[in-house]
Amino acid sequence: MQHKKTTALLLALPWIVTLLLFWLYPIIYSFVVGFTDRQLLSKTWQWVGFDNYIALLSDESFLTALKNTSIFVLGTIPVTTIVALLLALLVNKQFKGRGLFRAGYFLPSITSMVVVALIFTNLFQRGGYIALLAEMLGFTPPQHGFLLDSSTALYSIMAMDIWMAVGYYMLIFLAGLKSIPQELYEAAKIQGAGQVRQFFSITLPLLKPVALFILVINSIKSFQVFVEIFVMTQGKFETSTMVYFIYESGLTTKFNFGYASAAAYILFLIVAVFSFLQFRLLKNRGTV
Amino acid sequence: MKIIRKLIRYSMLLLILAVMIFPLLWMFRVSLMESGNSVAFENLFTSSFSFQNYLDLFATSKIGQYLFNSVLVGLVVTVGNIIFCFMTAYTIARYDYIVNKLLFISVILILMIPIHIIIIPMYLLMVKFGIYDSYFALILPWLVNPIGIFLVKQYIEAIPPSMEEAARIDGAGEMRILFRIVMPLCKPVLAVLAIQVFFTNWNSFLFPFILTQSDSVRTLPVALALMQGHQAIDWQHLMAGSAIAVIPVLIVFIIMQKQIVSGITAGGIKQ
Repeated sequence: MQHKKTTALLLALPWIVTLLLFWLYPIIYSFVVGFTDRQLLSKTWQWVGFDNYIALLSDESFLTALKNTSIFVLGTIPVTTIVALLLALLVNKQFKGRGLFRAGYFLPSITSMVVVALIFTNLFQRGGYIALLAEMLGFTPPQHGFLLDSSTALYSIMAMDIWMAVGYYMLIFLAGLKSIPQELYEAAKIQGAGQVRQFFSITLPLLKPVALFILVINSIKSFQVFVEIFVMTQGKFETSTMVYFIYESGLTTKFNFGYASAAAYILFLIVAVFSFLQFRLLKNRGTV
Repeated sequence: MKIIRKLIRYSMLLLILAVMIFPLLWMFRVSLMESGNSVAFENLFTSSFSFQNYLDLFATSKIGQYLFNSVLVGLVVTVGNIIFCFMTAYTIARYDYIVNKLLFISVILILMIPIHIIIIPMYLLMVKFGIYDSYFALILPWLVNPIGIFLVKQYIEAIPPSMEEAARIDGAGEMRILFRIVMPLCKPVLAVLAIQVFFTNWNSFLFPFILTQSDSVRTLPVALALMQGHQAIDWQHLMAGSAIAVIPVLIVFIIMQKQIVSGITAGGIKQ
Protein backbone atom coordinates (compact mmCIF):
# COMPACT_ATOMS: atom_id res chain seq x y z
CA MET A 1 0.00 0.00 0.00
CA GLN A 2 2.76 2.38 0.96
CA HIS A 3 4.47 1.46 -2.27
CA LYS A 4 1.40 2.44 -4.29
CA LYS A 5 1.15 5.75 -2.55
CA THR A 6 4.71 6.57 -3.53
CA THR A 7 3.99 5.62 -7.13
CA ALA A 8 0.94 7.87 -7.16
CA LEU A 9 2.93 10.81 -5.91
CA LEU A 10 5.82 10.10 -8.23
CA LEU A 11 3.53 10.11 -11.24
CA ALA A 12 2.11 13.47 -10.29
CA LEU A 13 5.51 14.96 -9.55
CA PRO A 14 5.91 16.88 -12.84
CA TRP A 15 2.58 18.59 -12.27
CA ILE A 16 3.34 19.29 -8.60
CA VAL A 17 6.67 20.91 -9.48
CA THR A 18 5.12 22.94 -12.32
CA LEU A 19 2.26 23.96 -10.07
CA LEU A 20 4.49 25.16 -7.25
CA LEU A 21 7.23 26.73 -9.33
CA PHE A 22 5.46 28.22 -12.32
CA TRP A 23 1.97 28.86 -11.00
CA LEU A 24 1.62 29.19 -7.24
CA TYR A 25 4.92 30.94 -6.63
CA PRO A 26 4.34 33.57 -9.37
CA ILE A 27 0.72 34.10 -8.30
CA ILE A 28 1.72 34.72 -4.69
CA TYR A 29 4.84 36.63 -5.65
CA SER A 30 2.97 39.10 -7.80
CA PHE A 31 0.39 39.59 -5.07
CA VAL A 32 3.10 40.41 -2.54
CA VAL A 33 5.18 42.55 -4.88
CA GLY A 34 2.07 44.61 -5.63
CA PHE A 35 2.46 46.08 -2.14
CA THR A 36 6.07 47.14 -2.69
CA ASP A 37 7.82 49.75 -4.81
CA ARG A 38 10.14 47.19 -6.39
CA GLN A 39 11.74 48.14 -9.73
CA LEU A 40 14.36 46.44 -11.86
CA LEU A 41 17.33 48.64 -11.12
CA SER A 42 16.73 49.54 -7.50
CA LYS A 43 18.46 47.01 -5.23
CA THR A 44 16.33 47.91 -2.26
CA TRP A 45 12.60 48.11 -2.05
CA GLN A 46 10.09 48.78 0.67
CA TRP A 47 6.53 48.11 1.61
CA VAL A 48 4.17 50.76 0.39
CA GLY A 49 0.85 49.22 1.44
CA PHE A 50 -1.98 50.07 -0.91
CA ASP A 51 -0.06 52.98 -2.48
CA ASN A 52 0.23 51.22 -5.87
CA TYR A 53 -3.47 50.53 -5.94
CA ILE A 54 -4.35 54.08 -4.95
CA ALA A 55 -1.93 55.53 -7.50
CA LEU A 56 -3.37 53.28 -10.23
CA LEU A 57 -6.88 54.53 -9.65
CA SER A 58 -5.81 58.07 -10.46
CA ASP A 59 -3.37 57.11 -13.24
CA GLU A 60 -4.73 58.46 -16.50
CA SER A 61 -3.18 55.75 -18.67
CA PHE A 62 -4.40 52.97 -16.40
CA LEU A 63 -7.94 54.31 -16.48
CA THR A 64 -7.80 54.59 -20.26
CA ALA A 65 -6.61 50.98 -20.44
CA LEU A 66 -9.45 49.96 -18.15
CA LYS A 67 -11.96 51.82 -20.27
CA ASN A 68 -10.65 50.34 -23.52
CA THR A 69 -10.65 46.83 -22.09
CA SER A 70 -14.26 47.28 -20.97
CA ILE A 71 -15.29 48.52 -24.41
CA PHE A 72 -13.46 45.58 -25.93
CA VAL A 73 -15.08 42.97 -23.69
CA LEU A 74 -18.60 44.39 -23.68
CA GLY A 75 -18.47 45.07 -27.40
CA THR A 76 -17.06 41.82 -28.71
CA ILE A 77 -18.62 39.18 -26.47
CA PRO A 78 -22.33 39.66 -27.30
CA VAL A 79 -21.62 40.00 -31.02
CA THR A 80 -19.26 37.01 -31.10
CA THR A 81 -21.72 34.83 -29.18
CA ILE A 82 -24.73 35.73 -31.31
CA VAL A 83 -22.90 35.44 -34.63
CA ALA A 84 -21.39 32.11 -33.54
CA LEU A 85 -24.85 30.80 -32.65
CA LEU A 86 -26.28 31.93 -35.98
CA LEU A 87 -23.41 30.30 -37.85
CA ALA A 88 -23.91 27.09 -35.88
CA LEU A 89 -27.63 27.04 -36.75
CA LEU A 90 -26.77 27.71 -40.38
CA VAL A 91 -24.38 24.76 -40.72
CA ASN A 92 -26.15 22.40 -38.31
CA LYS A 93 -28.58 20.96 -40.87
CA GLN A 94 -27.48 18.24 -43.25
CA PHE A 95 -26.59 19.62 -46.70
CA LYS A 96 -23.99 19.16 -49.40
CA GLY A 97 -20.60 20.66 -48.61
CA ARG A 98 -21.37 21.15 -44.93
CA GLY A 99 -17.94 20.00 -43.77
CA LEU A 100 -16.23 22.40 -46.14
CA PHE A 101 -18.17 25.41 -44.87
CA ARG A 102 -17.60 24.45 -41.24
CA ALA A 103 -13.88 24.09 -41.85
CA GLY A 104 -13.74 27.37 -43.72
CA TYR A 105 -15.50 29.29 -40.95
CA PHE A 106 -13.26 27.73 -38.36
CA LEU A 107 -10.02 28.41 -40.24
CA PRO A 108 -9.32 31.92 -38.82
CA SER A 109 -9.32 30.64 -35.25
CA ILE A 110 -6.44 28.23 -35.76
CA THR A 111 -4.30 30.88 -37.42
CA SER A 112 -1.72 32.58 -35.25
CA MET A 113 -2.92 35.88 -33.77
CA VAL A 114 0.32 37.56 -34.84
CA VAL A 115 -0.28 36.56 -38.45
CA VAL A 116 -3.93 37.62 -38.36
CA ALA A 117 -2.95 40.95 -36.83
CA LEU A 118 -0.33 41.49 -39.54
CA ILE A 119 -2.76 40.67 -42.34
CA PHE A 120 -5.36 43.05 -40.93
CA THR A 121 -2.79 45.78 -40.40
CA ASN A 122 -2.37 45.61 -44.14
CA LEU A 123 -6.11 45.40 -44.86
CA PHE A 124 -6.89 48.33 -42.53
CA GLN A 125 -4.18 50.65 -43.82
CA ARG A 126 -4.72 53.84 -45.79
CA GLY A 127 -5.98 52.97 -49.27
CA GLY A 128 -6.11 49.34 -48.16
CA TYR A 129 -8.72 46.80 -48.99
CA ILE A 130 -11.18 47.66 -46.22
CA ALA A 131 -10.93 51.39 -46.92
CA LEU A 132 -11.78 50.58 -50.52
CA LEU A 133 -14.75 48.52 -49.42
CA ALA A 134 -15.94 51.32 -47.11
CA GLU A 135 -15.74 53.81 -49.98
CA MET A 136 -17.74 51.52 -52.19
CA LEU A 137 -20.44 51.40 -49.52
CA GLY A 138 -20.49 55.18 -49.30
CA PHE A 139 -18.46 55.73 -46.12
CA THR A 140 -15.42 57.95 -45.88
CA PRO A 141 -12.56 55.93 -44.40
CA PRO A 142 -10.25 57.66 -41.90
CA GLN A 143 -7.60 59.71 -43.66
CA HIS A 144 -4.56 57.85 -42.33
CA GLY A 145 -6.10 54.40 -42.23
CA PHE A 146 -8.30 52.72 -39.65
CA LEU A 147 -5.52 51.92 -37.18
CA LEU A 148 -3.97 55.37 -37.09
CA ASP A 149 -7.12 57.14 -35.97
CA SER A 150 -8.31 57.25 -32.36
CA SER A 151 -11.97 57.06 -33.31
CA THR A 152 -11.67 53.83 -35.30
CA ALA A 153 -8.57 51.93 -34.14
CA LEU A 154 -10.05 50.05 -31.19
CA TYR A 155 -13.25 49.20 -33.04
CA SER A 156 -11.30 47.93 -36.02
CA ILE A 157 -9.33 45.58 -33.79
CA MET A 158 -12.56 44.45 -32.14
CA ALA A 159 -14.07 43.66 -35.54
CA MET A 160 -11.02 41.59 -36.40
CA ASP A 161 -11.28 39.69 -33.11
CA ILE A 162 -14.92 38.87 -33.74
CA TRP A 163 -14.07 37.67 -37.24
CA MET A 164 -11.35 35.47 -35.81
CA ALA A 165 -13.29 33.97 -32.89
CA VAL A 166 -16.75 33.18 -34.27
CA GLY A 167 -15.71 29.92 -35.96
CA TYR A 168 -14.30 28.52 -32.74
CA TYR A 169 -17.43 29.25 -30.72
CA MET A 170 -19.56 28.03 -33.62
CA LEU A 171 -17.97 24.61 -33.16
CA ILE A 172 -18.79 24.59 -29.45
CA PHE A 173 -22.39 25.59 -30.19
CA LEU A 174 -22.56 22.80 -32.76
CA ALA A 175 -21.53 20.27 -30.12
CA GLY A 176 -24.26 21.68 -27.87
CA LEU A 177 -26.85 21.41 -30.63
CA LYS A 178 -25.83 17.82 -31.27
CA SER A 179 -26.45 16.89 -27.65
CA ILE A 180 -30.10 18.03 -27.74
CA PRO A 181 -32.26 14.88 -28.07
CA GLN A 182 -33.99 14.73 -31.45
CA GLU A 183 -37.18 13.34 -29.84
CA LEU A 184 -37.90 16.72 -28.27
CA TYR A 185 -38.25 18.29 -31.70
CA GLU A 186 -40.40 15.43 -32.94
CA ALA A 187 -42.71 15.73 -29.95
CA ALA A 188 -42.96 19.48 -30.51
CA LYS A 189 -43.74 18.94 -34.18
CA ILE A 190 -46.56 16.55 -33.32
CA GLN A 191 -48.02 19.16 -30.99
CA GLY A 192 -47.92 21.65 -33.83
CA ALA A 193 -45.05 23.88 -32.72
CA GLY A 194 -43.47 25.77 -35.62
CA GLN A 195 -39.73 26.20 -36.19
CA VAL A 196 -39.56 29.53 -34.41
CA ARG A 197 -41.44 28.18 -31.41
CA GLN A 198 -39.15 25.11 -31.35
CA PHE A 199 -36.10 27.33 -31.37
CA PHE A 200 -37.23 29.46 -28.45
CA SER A 201 -38.67 26.72 -26.25
CA ILE A 202 -36.26 23.85 -26.97
CA THR A 203 -33.01 24.90 -28.62
CA LEU A 204 -32.31 28.10 -26.74
CA PRO A 205 -33.02 26.88 -23.17
CA LEU A 206 -31.05 23.67 -23.71
CA LEU A 207 -28.09 25.59 -25.09
CA LYS A 208 -27.81 27.63 -21.90
CA PRO A 209 -24.98 25.60 -20.33
CA VAL A 210 -22.98 25.82 -23.55
CA ALA A 211 -23.66 29.54 -23.81
CA LEU A 212 -22.49 30.01 -20.23
CA PHE A 213 -19.30 28.10 -20.95
CA ILE A 214 -18.68 30.26 -24.02
CA LEU A 215 -19.37 33.49 -22.14
CA VAL A 216 -17.00 32.61 -19.34
CA ILE A 217 -14.05 31.44 -21.45
CA ASN A 218 -14.55 34.24 -23.94
CA SER A 219 -14.56 36.91 -21.27
CA ILE A 220 -11.48 35.52 -19.52
CA LYS A 221 -9.76 35.59 -22.92
CA SER A 222 -11.04 39.00 -23.95
CA PHE A 223 -10.04 40.73 -20.73
CA GLN A 224 -6.48 39.71 -21.54
CA VAL A 225 -6.33 41.09 -25.07
CA PHE A 226 -2.72 41.96 -25.82
CA VAL A 227 -1.08 40.49 -28.94
CA GLU A 228 -3.25 42.28 -31.49
CA ILE A 229 -2.77 45.58 -29.66
CA PHE A 230 0.99 45.09 -29.56
CA VAL A 231 1.24 44.21 -33.25
CA MET A 232 -1.29 46.63 -34.71
CA THR A 233 -1.06 49.86 -32.73
CA GLN A 234 1.47 49.47 -29.88
CA GLY A 235 -1.22 50.83 -27.59
CA LYS A 236 -1.42 54.13 -29.46
CA PHE A 237 -4.58 55.78 -30.76
CA GLU A 238 -6.67 54.99 -27.71
CA THR A 239 -6.14 51.23 -27.90
CA SER A 240 -4.07 50.50 -24.81
CA THR A 241 -5.61 47.67 -22.78
CA MET A 242 -5.03 46.32 -19.26
CA VAL A 243 -2.51 43.66 -20.22
CA TYR A 244 -0.80 46.12 -22.53
CA PHE A 245 -0.57 48.51 -19.58
CA ILE A 246 0.87 45.74 -17.38
CA TYR A 247 3.45 44.96 -20.05
CA GLU A 248 4.31 48.61 -20.62
CA SER A 249 4.68 49.60 -16.98
CA GLY A 250 6.32 46.36 -15.84
CA LEU A 251 8.57 45.26 -18.67
CA THR A 252 9.56 48.37 -20.61
CA THR A 253 11.53 51.52 -19.73
CA LYS A 254 10.80 51.72 -15.99
CA PHE A 255 10.38 48.04 -15.13
CA ASN A 256 8.01 49.00 -12.36
CA PHE A 257 7.27 45.49 -11.05
CA GLY A 258 5.25 46.49 -8.01
CA TYR A 259 3.03 48.86 -9.91
CA ALA A 260 2.43 46.43 -12.78
CA SER A 261 1.66 43.58 -10.39
CA ALA A 262 -0.93 45.66 -8.58
CA ALA A 263 -2.54 46.39 -11.96
CA ALA A 264 -2.51 42.66 -12.75
CA TYR A 265 -4.38 41.93 -9.54
CA ILE A 266 -7.00 44.59 -10.23
CA LEU A 267 -7.62 42.92 -13.58
CA PHE A 268 -7.75 39.52 -11.87
CA LEU A 269 -10.40 40.81 -9.49
CA ILE A 270 -12.47 42.23 -12.33
CA VAL A 271 -12.30 38.96 -14.26
CA ALA A 272 -13.28 36.96 -11.17
CA VAL A 273 -16.27 39.18 -10.37
CA PHE A 274 -17.35 39.21 -14.01
CA SER A 275 -17.22 35.40 -14.30
CA PHE A 276 -19.08 35.01 -11.01
CA LEU A 277 -21.85 37.38 -12.17
CA GLN A 278 -22.22 35.51 -15.43
CA PHE A 279 -22.63 32.25 -13.54
CA ARG A 280 -25.25 33.73 -11.24
CA LEU A 281 -27.16 35.42 -14.01
CA LEU A 282 -27.45 32.36 -16.22
CA LYS A 283 -28.04 29.93 -13.37
CA ASN A 284 -30.97 31.97 -12.07
CA ARG A 285 -32.55 32.33 -15.47
CA GLY A 286 -32.20 28.60 -15.97
CA THR A 287 -34.50 27.76 -13.07
CA VAL A 288 -37.36 30.01 -14.21
CA MET B 1 -39.88 27.48 -53.94
CA LYS B 2 -37.52 24.88 -52.58
CA ILE B 3 -34.90 25.75 -55.17
CA ILE B 4 -35.06 29.45 -54.32
CA ARG B 5 -34.63 28.66 -50.66
CA LYS B 6 -31.63 26.50 -51.44
CA LEU B 7 -30.19 29.26 -53.59
CA ILE B 8 -30.52 31.82 -50.82
CA ARG B 9 -29.00 29.42 -48.34
CA TYR B 10 -25.98 28.64 -50.49
CA SER B 11 -25.35 32.24 -51.45
CA MET B 12 -25.38 33.15 -47.77
CA LEU B 13 -23.02 30.30 -46.94
CA LEU B 14 -20.68 31.28 -49.75
CA LEU B 15 -20.69 34.96 -48.84
CA ILE B 16 -19.72 34.16 -45.25
CA LEU B 17 -17.08 31.73 -46.47
CA ALA B 18 -15.62 34.47 -48.64
CA VAL B 19 -15.44 36.84 -45.67
CA MET B 20 -13.82 34.17 -43.51
CA ILE B 21 -11.10 33.04 -45.89
CA PHE B 22 -10.40 36.21 -47.84
CA PRO B 23 -7.76 37.58 -45.42
CA LEU B 24 -5.77 34.35 -45.64
CA LEU B 25 -6.01 34.27 -49.42
CA TRP B 26 -4.92 37.90 -49.44
CA MET B 27 -1.87 36.96 -47.38
CA PHE B 28 -0.88 34.27 -49.89
CA ARG B 29 -1.52 36.56 -52.84
CA VAL B 30 0.59 39.39 -51.43
CA SER B 31 3.37 36.96 -50.53
CA LEU B 32 3.60 35.99 -54.21
CA MET B 33 3.67 39.56 -55.54
CA GLU B 34 6.78 41.22 -56.80
CA SER B 35 8.46 42.99 -53.91
CA GLY B 36 8.80 46.76 -54.08
CA ASN B 37 5.41 47.52 -55.58
CA SER B 38 2.74 48.97 -53.38
CA VAL B 39 0.17 46.48 -52.15
CA ALA B 40 -2.88 47.94 -53.80
CA PHE B 41 -6.03 46.16 -54.72
CA GLU B 42 -5.46 46.84 -58.42
CA ASN B 43 -2.31 44.72 -58.26
CA LEU B 44 -4.31 41.73 -57.13
CA PHE B 45 -4.76 40.50 -60.68
CA THR B 46 -2.11 42.36 -62.67
CA SER B 47 0.91 41.63 -60.51
CA SER B 48 2.95 38.53 -61.26
CA PHE B 49 3.18 35.31 -59.24
CA SER B 50 6.59 34.30 -57.94
CA PHE B 51 8.17 32.53 -55.01
CA GLN B 52 11.02 35.02 -54.92
CA ASN B 53 9.95 36.54 -51.57
CA TYR B 54 10.12 33.15 -49.88
CA LEU B 55 13.57 32.49 -51.32
CA ASP B 56 14.71 35.97 -50.23
CA LEU B 57 13.56 35.34 -46.69
CA PHE B 58 15.53 32.13 -46.35
CA ALA B 59 18.58 33.67 -48.04
CA THR B 60 18.77 36.99 -46.24
CA SER B 61 16.85 36.75 -42.95
CA LYS B 62 17.12 34.34 -40.03
CA ILE B 63 13.75 32.80 -40.76
CA GLY B 64 15.27 29.33 -40.96
CA GLN B 65 16.50 29.75 -37.41
CA TYR B 66 13.12 31.02 -36.16
CA LEU B 67 11.37 28.14 -37.87
CA PHE B 68 13.77 25.68 -36.28
CA ASN B 69 13.20 27.25 -32.84
CA SER B 70 9.43 27.09 -33.20
CA VAL B 71 9.53 23.45 -34.30
CA LEU B 72 11.97 22.41 -31.58
CA VAL B 73 10.14 24.14 -28.74
CA GLY B 74 6.78 22.93 -30.08
CA LEU B 75 7.89 19.30 -30.31
CA VAL B 76 9.52 19.16 -26.88
CA VAL B 77 6.54 20.81 -25.20
CA THR B 78 4.13 18.48 -27.01
CA VAL B 79 6.01 15.31 -26.04
CA GLY B 80 6.27 16.59 -22.47
CA ASN B 81 2.53 17.17 -22.29
CA ILE B 82 1.68 13.75 -23.71
CA ILE B 83 3.77 12.03 -21.04
CA PHE B 84 3.21 14.29 -18.03
CA CYS B 85 -0.49 15.09 -18.53
CA PHE B 86 -1.07 11.38 -18.95
CA MET B 87 0.83 10.49 -15.78
CA THR B 88 -0.94 13.09 -13.67
CA ALA B 89 -4.33 12.28 -15.14
CA TYR B 90 -3.80 8.60 -14.40
CA THR B 91 -2.95 9.30 -10.77
CA ILE B 92 -6.00 11.49 -10.30
CA ALA B 93 -8.31 9.06 -12.07
CA ARG B 94 -7.10 5.82 -10.53
CA TYR B 95 -5.63 6.38 -7.07
CA ASP B 96 -8.02 7.35 -4.33
CA TYR B 97 -6.00 9.40 -1.88
CA ILE B 98 -6.76 12.78 -0.40
CA VAL B 99 -3.65 14.12 -2.07
CA ASN B 100 -5.20 13.26 -5.40
CA LYS B 101 -8.35 15.15 -4.61
CA LEU B 102 -6.14 18.11 -3.81
CA LEU B 103 -4.30 17.61 -7.07
CA PHE B 104 -7.54 17.73 -9.00
CA ILE B 105 -8.64 20.87 -7.21
CA SER B 106 -5.30 22.44 -8.12
CA VAL B 107 -5.92 21.60 -11.78
CA ILE B 108 -9.35 23.25 -11.75
CA LEU B 109 -8.14 26.33 -9.89
CA ILE B 110 -5.23 26.95 -12.23
CA LEU B 111 -7.59 26.52 -15.18
CA MET B 112 -9.49 29.56 -13.99
CA ILE B 113 -6.56 31.85 -13.19
CA PRO B 114 -6.00 34.48 -15.88
CA ILE B 115 -2.48 34.02 -17.16
CA HIS B 116 -1.56 37.73 -17.12
CA ILE B 117 -1.00 37.46 -13.34
CA ILE B 118 2.24 35.58 -13.91
CA ILE B 119 3.81 37.76 -16.63
CA ILE B 120 6.04 39.81 -14.33
CA PRO B 121 7.05 37.04 -11.87
CA MET B 122 7.73 34.63 -14.73
CA TYR B 123 10.15 37.13 -16.23
CA LEU B 124 11.89 37.63 -12.88
CA LEU B 125 11.98 33.90 -12.20
CA MET B 126 13.68 33.18 -15.54
CA VAL B 127 16.22 35.92 -14.93
CA LYS B 128 16.93 34.56 -11.46
CA PHE B 129 17.36 30.98 -12.72
CA GLY B 130 19.70 32.27 -15.40
CA ILE B 131 17.61 30.75 -18.17
CA TYR B 132 16.12 33.98 -19.52
CA ASP B 133 16.60 34.06 -23.29
CA SER B 134 17.15 30.32 -23.62
CA TYR B 135 15.13 27.34 -24.87
CA PHE B 136 14.55 26.35 -21.24
CA ALA B 137 12.55 29.52 -20.59
CA LEU B 138 10.27 28.62 -23.50
CA ILE B 139 9.88 24.97 -22.57
CA LEU B 140 10.01 24.33 -18.81
CA PRO B 141 6.84 26.16 -17.66
CA TRP B 142 4.63 24.51 -20.29
CA LEU B 143 5.59 20.82 -20.10
CA VAL B 144 2.32 19.93 -18.42
CA ASN B 145 -0.92 21.90 -18.53
CA PRO B 146 -4.18 21.78 -16.56
CA ILE B 147 -6.51 21.60 -19.57
CA GLY B 148 -4.58 18.58 -20.83
CA ILE B 149 -4.73 16.84 -17.47
CA PHE B 150 -8.46 17.45 -17.31
CA LEU B 151 -9.03 16.13 -20.82
CA VAL B 152 -7.05 12.91 -20.29
CA LYS B 153 -8.50 12.31 -16.81
CA GLN B 154 -12.05 12.37 -18.20
CA TYR B 155 -10.99 9.84 -20.81
CA ILE B 156 -9.24 7.46 -18.41
CA GLU B 157 -12.21 7.46 -16.06
CA ALA B 158 -14.36 6.13 -18.88
CA ILE B 159 -12.06 3.11 -19.38
CA PRO B 160 -13.06 0.13 -17.21
CA PRO B 161 -10.21 -0.78 -14.83
CA SER B 162 -10.61 -4.54 -15.38
CA MET B 163 -7.65 -4.81 -17.77
CA GLU B 164 -5.32 -3.11 -15.32
CA GLU B 165 -6.52 -5.37 -12.48
CA ALA B 166 -5.98 -8.50 -14.58
CA ALA B 167 -2.45 -7.34 -15.39
CA ARG B 168 -1.80 -6.57 -11.75
CA ILE B 169 -2.85 -10.10 -10.77
CA ASP B 170 -0.45 -11.41 -13.42
CA GLY B 171 2.26 -9.54 -11.54
CA ALA B 172 2.88 -6.64 -13.92
CA GLY B 173 4.50 -3.59 -12.31
CA GLU B 174 2.71 -0.22 -12.13
CA MET B 175 4.92 1.41 -14.75
CA ARG B 176 4.35 -1.45 -17.14
CA ILE B 177 0.58 -1.21 -16.66
CA LEU B 178 0.68 2.52 -17.08
CA PHE B 179 2.71 2.75 -20.27
CA ARG B 180 2.00 -0.62 -21.91
CA ILE B 181 -1.70 -1.06 -21.18
CA VAL B 182 -3.41 2.22 -20.33
CA MET B 183 -1.44 4.55 -22.58
CA PRO B 184 -2.21 2.69 -25.82
CA LEU B 185 -5.89 2.80 -24.88
CA CYS B 186 -5.64 6.57 -24.53
CA LYS B 187 -4.23 7.13 -28.01
CA PRO B 188 -7.28 9.05 -29.32
CA VAL B 189 -7.32 11.57 -26.49
CA LEU B 190 -3.55 11.91 -26.52
CA ALA B 191 -3.70 12.73 -30.23
CA VAL B 192 -6.23 15.45 -29.49
CA LEU B 193 -4.02 16.75 -26.70
CA ALA B 194 -0.90 16.71 -28.86
CA ILE B 195 -2.50 18.77 -31.61
CA GLN B 196 -3.92 21.29 -29.19
CA VAL B 197 -0.66 21.74 -27.36
CA PHE B 198 1.36 22.02 -30.54
CA PHE B 199 -0.98 24.60 -32.08
CA THR B 200 -1.12 26.69 -28.93
CA ASN B 201 2.63 26.62 -28.66
CA TRP B 202 3.22 27.27 -32.34
CA ASN B 203 0.98 30.36 -32.25
CA SER B 204 1.98 31.61 -28.84
CA PHE B 205 3.39 35.12 -28.60
CA LEU B 206 3.24 36.69 -25.15
CA PHE B 207 5.64 34.50 -23.16
CA PRO B 208 8.14 33.77 -25.94
CA PHE B 209 8.18 37.52 -26.49
CA ILE B 210 8.89 38.56 -22.92
CA LEU B 211 11.25 35.67 -22.14
CA THR B 212 13.64 35.93 -25.10
CA GLN B 213 15.62 38.65 -26.80
CA SER B 214 18.10 37.03 -29.19
CA ASP B 215 17.56 35.59 -32.65
CA SER B 216 19.05 32.24 -31.71
CA VAL B 217 16.03 31.27 -29.57
CA ARG B 218 13.30 33.55 -30.88
CA THR B 219 10.22 31.80 -32.27
CA LEU B 220 8.52 32.59 -35.55
CA PRO B 221 5.49 34.59 -34.32
CA VAL B 222 7.71 36.82 -32.17
CA ALA B 223 10.11 37.39 -35.04
CA LEU B 224 7.25 38.26 -37.40
CA ALA B 225 5.69 40.70 -34.95
CA LEU B 226 9.00 42.48 -34.48
CA MET B 227 9.94 42.43 -38.17
CA GLN B 228 7.11 44.83 -38.83
CA GLY B 229 8.31 47.51 -36.46
CA HIS B 230 11.68 48.10 -38.05
CA GLN B 231 11.60 50.09 -41.27
CA ALA B 232 8.96 50.93 -43.78
CA ILE B 233 6.91 47.79 -43.99
CA ASP B 234 7.82 45.45 -46.80
CA TRP B 235 4.46 43.73 -47.06
CA GLN B 236 5.44 41.15 -49.65
CA HIS B 237 8.18 39.67 -47.49
CA LEU B 238 6.20 40.05 -44.28
CA MET B 239 3.27 38.15 -45.79
CA ALA B 240 5.64 35.46 -47.08
CA GLY B 241 6.95 35.06 -43.53
CA SER B 242 3.38 34.92 -42.22
CA ALA B 243 2.53 32.27 -44.78
CA ILE B 244 5.48 30.19 -43.61
CA ALA B 245 4.00 30.34 -40.09
CA VAL B 246 0.53 29.38 -41.29
CA ILE B 247 1.28 26.60 -43.80
CA PRO B 248 2.22 23.90 -41.24
CA VAL B 249 -0.95 24.66 -39.27
CA LEU B 250 -3.03 24.41 -42.45
CA ILE B 251 -1.50 21.06 -43.35
CA VAL B 252 -2.12 19.61 -39.89
CA PHE B 253 -5.64 21.02 -39.94
CA ILE B 254 -6.49 19.38 -43.26
CA ILE B 255 -5.11 16.00 -42.18
CA MET B 256 -6.40 15.94 -38.61
CA GLN B 257 -9.59 17.98 -38.74
CA LYS B 258 -11.53 15.37 -36.77
CA GLN B 259 -9.17 15.37 -33.79
CA ILE B 260 -9.00 19.15 -33.72
CA VAL B 261 -12.76 19.52 -33.69
CA SER B 262 -13.24 16.85 -31.01
CA GLY B 263 -10.61 18.53 -28.85
CA ILE B 264 -12.52 21.78 -28.94
CA THR B 265 -15.93 20.28 -28.39
CA ALA B 266 -14.71 18.10 -25.52
CA GLY B 267 -14.09 21.32 -23.64
CA GLY B 268 -17.58 22.54 -24.46
CA ILE B 269 -19.44 19.43 -23.44
CA LYS B 270 -17.76 18.86 -20.10
CA GLN B 271 -19.88 21.59 -18.54
